[in-house]
Amino acid sequence: MRDIDKSKFVFLSEKEKEFEEFRPSLTYWQDAWRRLKKNKMSMVGLVGIILIILFAIIGPLTTSMSYSDQVNDFKNLPPFLRVYEVAPDKFVTITSDYSLIRTTKNGRLIERLEEIEVSGPVITDEERTDVTKILSPSEQKKRNDEAKKNLVKQYMMDGEIIELNFSGVVDSELEHKYVFTYNGQVTNEKTKTVWNKKYPFGSDNLGRDVLTRVMYGARISLTVAFVASLVNFIIGVTYGAIAGFEGGRVDNVMMRIVDIINSVPLVLIIIMLMVLIGNQGLWTIILAIGMVYWVGMARLVRGQILSLKEQEFVLAATTLGVSRKNIILRHLIPNAMGPIIISMTMMIPSAVFTEAFMSFIGLGVSAPMASWGTLANNALAAILTSPYQLFFPAAAIAITMLAFNFLGDGLRDALDPRLRKG
Amino acid sequence: MGKYFLKRLAAALLTILLIATITFILMHSIPGGPFTRERPVPDSIMERLNEKYNLDAPLIEQYWDYMKGLVTLELGPSFSIIGKDVEELIGAGFPTSAKIGLFATILIIVVGIPFGIISALKQNRPIDYTVMFLATLGVTVPSFVIATLIIYVFAGLLGWLPTFGIENPLGYIGPVIALAGYSLSFVTRLTRSSMLEVLRQDYIRTARANGIKEVVVMAKHAVRNALIPVVTYVGPMVAGILTGSFVIERIFALPGMGGYFVESITNRDYTTIMGITVFYAAFYIIMILLVDVAYAFIDPRIRFEKGAK
Repeated sequence: MRDIDKSKFVFLSEKEKEFEEFRPSLTYWQDAWRRLKKNKMSMVGLVGIILIILFAIIGPLTTSMSYSDQVNDFKNLPPFLRVYEVAPDKFVTITSDYSLIRTTKNGRLIERLEEIEVSGPVITDEERTDVTKILSPSEQKKRNDEAKKNLVKQYMMDGEIIELNFSGVVDSELEHKYVFTYNGQVTNEKTKTVWNKKYPFGSDNLGRDVLTRVMYGARISLTVAFVASLVNFIIGVTYGAIAGFEGGRVDNVMMRIVDIINSVPLVLIIIMLMVLIGNQGLWTIILAIGMVYWVGMARLVRGQILSLKEQEFVLAATTLGVSRKNIILRHLIPNAMGPIIISMTMMIPSAVFTEAFMSFIGLGVSAPMASWGTLANNALAAILTSPYQLFFPAAAIAITMLAFNFLGDGLRDALDPRLRKG
Repeated sequence: MGKYFLKRLAAALLTILLIATITFILMHSIPGGPFTRERPVPDSIMERLNEKYNLDAPLIEQYWDYMKGLVTLELGPSFSIIGKDVEELIGAGFPTSAKIGLFATILIIVVGIPFGIISALKQNRPIDYTVMFLATLGVTVPSFVIATLIIYVFAGLLGWLPTFGIENPLGYIGPVIALAGYSLSFVTRLTRSSMLEVLRQDYIRTARANGIKEVVVMAKHAVRNALIPVVTYVGPMVAGILTGSFVIERIFALPGMGGYFVESITNRDYTTIMGITVFYAAFYIIMILLVDVAYAFIDPRIRFEKGAK
């Protein structure tokens, strides 16, 4: 044997040293938790999930408004208001349908000003929604400008007339397309953008607080997700465990049924179930989702049980006379818990997704209750004028999905026995 | 091979039959008929309506008629769109849905797979992080949000795309991207993880040890094997894209099948719901069948395993 050149050897890097490190013996769950803690993304996910749950539970308690409170005067107000100072200490903001709302300097809403006179063409709400459907955006803009050309609106404020005048200012490139006249004095200067104090996320087309609705929506979406996952867990684990443990013909028949259910798009089955049960609110959708998604869980559990039941500890239990029910409940299922939990974590976001999807096509909870999907759907009509109405529920869905996905990925790595070292 | 195919075909047909039966039973077990309205219809009119649509016949006879209709592709008249048969609705809507779906599928395959591969080869480099960030975003944002954002930004603010319709070829861009979004991200992630898995395999090391050029190792050994799980996903995905299009078609106001389906749900138009459900299910099952057969050709391991059964 030739002499080995010492310079060919290098020290292990810090990371590589870990492979050989001695560790105290840990249980499966301690080990999983230790590895999960190391994974930053999944910790972010976990914290995110806790925050979302707190948002859903505590959120609605912190607001005095309810999800169904309508304030007709304050509809379609964005989260950020452009406030005009028309006279010293007199502030107004202008809504998307060109009416004036009196505010304080820092964005507290006071009242909608009384309209006393309108001359020139008026754009009504109906016309506006109509326009979005028929004209392209540029045509629509042109038509709006055209309609505004001679629009003059007068309001009463503190006994004086305040006039909103669009005539002569039709250049849409201009930032201020209107001129205020208060008490004979023209102002269109001092403007600033402030945060809407009453509606931090804005208000919707019926004057309801979007923040409150998103918080109540969180309750509904999360309830659907958690309960549906629980139903899915109970059915899936029971079904899979029985099929796997019994084996033979029972297993064959049970798994063919799963195959058949699985060969149809699950959304279709949910739609059929919803149509069948009749849309009776929250429980229908929970039931429909829970009754369909268990097939994946059943397959997974069956596979786990099939391999576990051949192991010695099951033989030992059988020999000791443990009943079949207890073998399944006490010995087999706890040992298959890792993959089951991963599957549950992945199940929750997909239930949120499915619920949003169903709500979006009109099979969700009924008004005035609203889930995130319903909120997003409702926002669609006014997307060009009030995009914030879509943004908040959509962001809530996305954050939830992200959090659960991160946690799920981390759990998969942490609970996978193939990746356990030492 | 032929025997395997026949067996699978028989199973698929049986499944479709079963689904049609279940759909039929479900639809007929709903209390109240399709003509139940908030204002009750006088009994005599109800009788005539039921007579016209053959709803007064014994259930077995209706079932038999329905099944005969399925075979001859006559799915019966729609209850809410007067004067139209369900097969006409499907015929009118399917081409649009299929076109959007096809473009979305092409986009997914042409963009998703290469990016997944690049991401795996450049693991933990900036490009990998960028691709994975976008892909994660893609699976977390619902398609209807993507669709609405496209309308808001590209149609509303910038005015580059039409807000609805596909008369203008540019109109395809929005629906196709929104429809592809989720699956595109999923395929990218799947390709990446499967590629990483394959790169760790012994046969890759062997190939390299044999002195085969890196390009050939990648193209011939790594990518081909890494694509097997992707192929499995793509089959059901194509059918799934069609179901996903309900919402997209509604947002972009496209005259596709999904639009009719959503409408039929709100109108409780039972024949249309039944017809389209069976159509979707049949399409889905046939896609899965095709993929399974294609799969058996690609991967000999699967062929032998299934053949042995």
